[in-house]
Amino acid sequence: MKTSVASLYQAVELNQEIPPLLIGERCNPNGSKAFREALLAEDWEKCLKVGLDQEARGAQVLDLCVAYAGRDELEDMIRLVKLFAGSCKSPLMLDSTNPETLAAVLPLYPGRAIINSINLEDGGAILDKICMLAKKYGAAVVALTITEEGMALSCEKKVATAKQIYRLAVDKHGLRPQDILFDLLTFTVGSGDEKMRNAAIETLNAIKQVRKELPEVNFTLGISNISFGLRPAARKVLNSVFLHEAVTAGLNTAIVDAAKVLPYAAISDEERSYCLDLLYDRSDDALMKFIEHFEQAVEENDEGEDESLLEEQIRHKLLKGDKDGLEDLLSELRGRWQPLDIINGLLVPAMREVGELFGRGELLLPFVLQSAEVMKHSVTLLEPYMEKLADEGRTSILLATVAGDVHDIGKNLVDIILSNNGYKVYNIGIKVPAEEIIAKAKELQVDVIGLSGLLVKSALLMKENMVQFQAAGLTQPVLLGGAALTPKFVAEDCVPSYEKPVVYCADAFAGLKAIRDFEAGKLLATRWDSAVFPSNRPSPQVEVLDRSQEPPKVPFLGEQFVTDLPAEPLFAYLNQAALFRGRWGYRRGKMSKEEYAELTEGTVLPLYARLKEQVLSGGWLQPKVAYGYFDCCSEGNSLLVQSAAGEKQFNFPRQSAAPHLCIADYFRTPEEGGDRVGFFIVTIGEMLAERTHELFAVDSYHDYLMLHGLGVELTDALAEYWHEQMRIEVGIQQQRDADIAAYVAQSYQGSRYGFGYPACPDLSAHLPLFELLQAERIGIKLTESFEMVPEMSTSAIVVYHPQAKYFAV
Amino acid sequence: MRYICTCCGYTYDPTNGDGMNGVMPGVAFEDLPEGWVCPLCYASKDQFDPLD
Repeated sequence: MKTSVASLYQAVELNQEIPPLLIGERCNPNGSKAFREALLAEDWEKCLKVGLDQEARGAQVLDLCVAYAGRDELEDMIRLVKLFAGSCKSPLMLDSTNPETLAAVLPLYPGRAIINSINLEDGGAILDKICMLAKKYGAAVVALTITEEGMALSCEKKVATAKQIYRLAVDKHGLRPQDILFDLLTFTVGSGDEKMRNAAIETLNAIKQVRKELPEVNFTLGISNISFGLRPAARKVLNSVFLHEAVTAGLNTAIVDAAKVLPYAAISDEERSYCLDLLYDRSDDALMKFIEHFEQAVEENDEGEDESLLEEQIRHKLLKGDKDGLEDLLSELRGRWQPLDIINGLLVPAMREVGELFGRGELLLPFVLQSAEVMKHSVTLLEPYMEKLADEGRTSILLATVAGDVHDIGKNLVDIILSNNGYKVYNIGIKVPAEEIIAKAKELQVDVIGLSGLLVKSALLMKENMVQFQAAGLTQPVLLGGAALTPKFVAEDCVPSYEKPVVYCADAFAGLKAIRDFEAGKLLATRWDSAVFPSNRPSPQVEVLDRSQEPPKVPFLGEQFVTDLPAEPLFAYLNQAALFRGRWGYRRGKMSKEEYAELTEGTVLPLYARLKEQVLSGGWLQPKVAYGYFDCCSEGNSLLVQSAAGEKQFNFPRQSAAPHLCIADYFRTPEEGGDRVGFFIVTIGEMLAERTHELFAVDSYHDYLMLHGLGVELTDALAEYWHEQMRIEVGIQQQRDADIAAYVAQSYQGSRYGFGYPACPDLSAHLPLFELLQAERIGIKLTESFEMVPEMSTSAIVVYHPQAKYFAV
Repeated sequence: MRYICTCCGYTYDPTNGDGMNGVMPGVAFEDLPEGWVCPLCYASKDQFDPLD
């Protein structure tokens, strides 16, 4: 059946001698960045150019869409239809579902247009109006198989919907069958979603069947949907192969980017077979093989192609961590997809991609968090339109920081990553005793338990927890994470006490991988082969300690308080390498030196400057110090400290391996004449930590991590600053250096050992320390597990012996 | 090539080696044993970034 559409200049037959007729898709603000920018700038000539360029590349009909949030569709459409009508050789496809817009532009168009589109989403009211317009103005109509239940996925549903629309358009409104172009819809076979494996098959079969049952109608299809989520170079090939198959099935027109259609003959047999295996779901690993094959394919014009579809745009936004225009984009997407399908079909696969990029070292942690923010924000925007996310069937995880430990950044990062990858996370907070974890795990029937803790003591506690979990009959695998943990410790000390897998997770993504392994039934307990990984902790190579060292000349004995410190000078003592690369995660990874310098200059330093300004102008730092010098002497592994409040005893552990160091060794015994020691406790106050918690509460993941990292490093900067001050006071350093690189390497006399750290891990030493320094007077308290509150506080014993350097017990 | 510890800022310079770990001068970072850790903060090798 011959059917033509026409512009002012020419008629074009829908059934081309060599099908398909190519309909250019890029005059669409939701599909082309160039067109969108031109439209927003009201640069009409540029809008026209997007159309003319497509003609030059082979488009025979031009789709024209101007619906964009914030624009007046009616006004823009009238203006552009007039402009296009006079300048384009190709007939127009008027892309609007608004009857008023169509009613205004159809009489203006000096040819025979195609209306794009009608559907049954609202039950048929709009369809009626548009069909009447089509009849009146003699236009052809694209019909999408969408009903009140959503988009038709199965062949059966597509065919039934097509027949239903046919009855209305042809029997009721009197359109000619050949003036209907059915778009039977297709969906990506590239997401790995089980339900979508046969998306191509359903569409191809539906085309065949509708063609058989309604022989006179025509067809069109948005081809590139088939490959959404895959890499651009791979998409081009898969789209072209799919187009070839669809034409074989009976498709006679296709909505495409005409410039990106490859001739079938130009595709090698090998590539065709990868594509066909995927399209026809010929093997379980067809997608994997396809991706592997095209992994090496040359990337071209990555940015440009990503613009072609709304679905691409949301992926792009998530990958880029870009929240601009998210609301508009999602509301457009809701016109095509159910909210839950947007989440599971578009957002979750994109987050998976983010995780993979991070795993390959191609995406840094701060950018991952920005992506997670886009995810979270999208879900929040979609929630009003859907039932609450069903918890059934979702893998659930209980997260807790173990008893006695207040550190929550690690646990919260795991929460962010897991919950934004679609998992159900119960984050039950900090300082959670084993009994409570056990009760919650049973009550909530979670699938996996994740424990976190920064302290050395927390690692030991996790070991005990495993015994308790086993005794309580828990059956969930347990993931362990924390600064003091090592895979060796987990494998040798935790794994044996618990029957189910206990798994060491180095970071949040290791946690994500573990959850995926769990789902795949292949989660294994951490193993450690000490033959392969000998683990000797480094140590100063000390043979004999010099005993002749005179006690330092201290400026006073007893404790003092400093509460009027200016905040700004602290920044000179901040360890930028540790902050930028460690806390913030701006690792160099695979970048060249120049690329990393560019990242530092362009992103990291400006961020640092912004936060510094915020912190200072907001008065978020209230640095305070309690410190003092005391007479003391060592006795075995203990240090006996004399103060006005009486003698205080500090017991220090000794290395079990050579050189068997112990902090007490750096002090002289009573027989040797006794010695002197310094201590300090410093805090930057509560405000910065409060701001940090607020950021987490409002899902500002990126700024949360950044501000938290800055706070921790500023606390350490204050400690570094005060340690320098104490060296100057006792006369072993002449002036202020603030030479952080040198300080990091301990290029000064003596050492400061933080309580809770490797040389003196036992936090209960805070008890005698607080009695000495009375840190309550600068607002610091101890918890029942001897941690300091505010959390951004740190303490140290200051040792002046020249041979004293860091070591671990 | 020098490498920097992303946890504490310690720099491993092959011309100096690492006395704390008993590593002689002249050993490239890549040739340090897998179990080698930062002499100051005990971070593992994968926590290091190339510096030069």
